[in-house]
Amino acid sequence: MLAHLEHVTKRYVKADGVLDLSLGFPAGEVVGVLGLNGSGKSTLLKLLAGLLQPTQGTVRVFGKAPRQARSQFVFLGEQDALWTWMTPRDAEKFMSGVYEDFDAARFNELLDVLDVPRRKTKAMSKGERGRLRLAMSLSRDVKLYLLDEPLAGIDLISREKILSSLVREWHTDETILLSTHEVAEAEGLFERVLLMKAGRIALDAQAEELRDEGKSVVDAFREVLS
Amino acid sequence: MRGFKTLLWLEHRRSWVWAVSLFASLAFWAWGIKQVLVLDIASRAGIRSGLLGIAAAIGLLVLAIMIGRFRGETRNGQYQVMLLSPPSGYSHILARFVYAATVAAIYYVTIAFLYWWIAELAGIHFDAVTLIELILGLPLYGLALIAFPLMAWVLLLMVVVSSYRLSGSGWIPGTIMVFGSGVAFGELGEAISRIAYSLPGWRIFRHAPGALIERFGPLDPEVSTELSQVMYQGVPIEPVLVMLAVTALMLFLAGRIWQEVEA
Repeated sequence: MLAHLEHVTKRYVKADGVLDLSLGFPAGEVVGVLGLNGSGKSTLLKLLAGLLQPTQGTVRVFGKAPRQARSQFVFLGEQDALWTWMTPRDAEKFMSGVYEDFDAARFNELLDVLDVPRRKTKAMSKGERGRLRLAMSLSRDVKLYLLDEPLAGIDLISREKILSSLVREWHTDETILLSTHEVAEAEGLFERVLLMKAGRIALDAQAEELRDEGKSVVDAFREVLS
Repeated sequence: MRGFKTLLWLEHRRSWVWAVSLFASLAFWAWGIKQVLVLDIASRAGIRSGLLGIAAAIGLLVLAIMIGRFRGETRNGQYQVMLLSPPSGYSHILARFVYAATVAAIYYVTIAFLYWWIAELAGIHFDAVTLIELILGLPLYGLALIAFPLMAWVLLLMVVVSSYRLSGSGWIPGTIMVFGSGVAFGELGEAISRIAYSLPGWRIFRHAPGALIERFGPLDPEVSTELSQVMYQGVPIEPVLVMLAVTALMLFLAGRIWQEVEA
């Protein structure tokens, strides 16, 4: 297992994040983490990244506490977390300076593929910034990618570019956890689907099994969460 | 070390506008000094020195704001990016501190240089030793005593605030720190004054009275006696040693919290 959670509960001051989750993520899976707003998707990904500490239970990533393994995975948060003065060149300098596994050639290739303009992020659209952040993330050579709503608030063309890049860049020994509301668009990407409801797993299934039952991921989403 | 250099670069990109503005403000203060034209030389030098004192105080405020700009990054997510980057929390904190300390050192050395200029304008010519003490020794003494601890305290405060928030249930640690620090530094000041001069003092400016006498003639005997005592005793070393240790402790705590914090 690349990552696993054992009986993990995360409570906030006024709400529950996730409740008694026990999950494992082996190598080589593309997992869709799906659910309505407030269902616990971001909490799950932040727990795996070590940005949140569980109230109860244990989280292990590569056999360590998540923050100790932070150089071994990518976390792409839902926030538009780039400095406004940053250009793609600055981003390359930052990433190659702090991440030993960052591949600058791959980054520049991805900038072209994702059509990211070479200007400051404050002069970019949200979609362009999203694509830049994805290029920064996918240019690292790691085995675990935690992508929290990378498609949120991004235009259709950018979403298509991001999804096609994910498909193209994915290697069979890598695991991607992707949370998104764009279930229909991302459906073809997922091998495994986690449907979350009120902080719990409402459905954990292989996408192939759903298809064998004559259901799409969207159908399952509607059936379980409606 | 590779990561640390990048963090220093990041710090420079985040803060260069503040640093350059601070340096540029010294041109304004130098211009202000030239505008002081009262006839009495001693009063003129006094007013000019006062202006530089104001510049030094404002600089301290600007440096504290510069090093403590965390809230926007916490809100916008850059804080998450830094928390998950491979360099340790100590490296992040140290990079911020080293950058701000370097800016502070350049700023205060330049202010000290302007003091030398004021002395020259007043016709007081210091010897080489006094000049080095004025331009390098005095700023470094002041930095170690006041600026470095203040900057480390602001860093620690902002890490605490960003970690535990000053709102919601986590307001208690931040509030205790804000109010508790005043009391703690008061107590520390008293403790330092009790141990001051346990070690031999640093006899800074021991040649300065000669330059004053050369310019203004023999000093008033009472002033001369007091000055001799101060020159003989020098300035205490203990406060600097204690405040450097306090600075290191606060940086360590800030780095430690950074390692654990949620975002």
